[in-house]
Amino acid sequence: MFLYAFIFPIISIIAIIWFIERYIHNKNSLSTVILWSVFWVFVSLFAIFPEFSNSFARLFGITRGLDFIIILVFVILFYTVLKLYFLVDQMQNNLNKIVKEVALNNEITLDDEEE
Amino acid sequence: MEHKITAEDKSSTYVVLPAYNEATRIQPVIEEIARKGYNMVIVNDGSSDNTLDVIKASKKKYPDQIHIFSLMINRGVGVATQAGFEAVLRYNPKYIVSMDSDGQHSADDLDNVIRPLVTGEAKAVIGVRPLKDMPRSRNYANAIMNLMTRIFYRVDVSDSQTGFRAITADALDKISINARGYLISSEFIREINDNEIPFAEVPIKTIYTPETQAKGTNVKVAFQILLQMIRHQF
Repeated sequence: MFLYAFIFPIISIIAIIWFIERYIHNKNSLSTVILWSVFWVFVSLFAIFPEFSNSFARLFGITRGLDFIIILVFVILFYTVLKLYFLVDQMQNNLNKIVKEVALNNEITLDDEEE
Repeated sequence: MEHKITAEDKSSTYVVLPAYNEATRIQPVIEEIARKGYNMVIVNDGSSDNTLDVIKASKKKYPDQIHIFSLMINRGVGVATQAGFEAVLRYNPKYIVSMDSDGQHSADDLDNVIRPLVTGEAKAVIGVRPLKDMPRSRNYANAIMNLMTRIFYRVDVSDSQTGFRAITADALDKISINARGYLISSEFIREINDNEIPFAEVPIKTIYTPETQAKGTNVKVAFQILLQMIRHQF
């Protein structure tokens, strides 16, 4: 058995515990916990039983398990980047609202200078 | 005969000037507008130079005509103009103009730009820059943006990226501007079209200097606007 067959399940357990803990403290939604838990369970399965990735890949019409894992990683990264993009966009909008509000409530007069 | 713009028309017009790092250029722009009898709402867009001090110095000369607001951090010409449009409604204007504060636009064109609003011929006006005066890179970018504005916003205009525009107060109340950056030009056109606000195109002079050319719609900015236009479709 290769070293990664031990390392990846350990990382997966830590990751799942971390997501559950964040859910308990209301920092994650339940769907996020489920999604990431499924992901890490599959990572562990692929690490312990490499041939499992082959049979799983064939389900999607991909011949090699490794190719399937690479494609899966790309999909997850793309999803994460997109999610971050929308999050940043929303934050930019909120920031703009605050900055505008502060400016509009504080018209600059010449009296400000004299104070 | 051309309708003459009266002092009353001018006093009920407010010019919105978004300003970002314009310390070396904005003073003659402000004072020329003030000398012509127009009012102004100037929005300092979080400038890192002393733009705000320069604006304040001009306000000392024309205290009643100049209103200053300052964004604490730089948020882009779109946000600064939005803030200007929101602020200006406090002063009960009849007509609102927005123009660049870098000296690219001439205050001499203000009368021409508000004339269709005063006569009732239109409720919104866009100042169209002469293509022959435009630097080549700007010309290409502008042609692309005009085409994109036609495709994505279904409006055909001669200059979709002009920063010189005018609108009546009641028409401004109907439109909603959310763009952060230079997309505001196309968004303004889309909004007046979507709200069926009658608009006119008025030719304006443009003064290009190396400094003014560094700002505005070049190919890179055009690409960013294109991405935002695509995003706005969803």
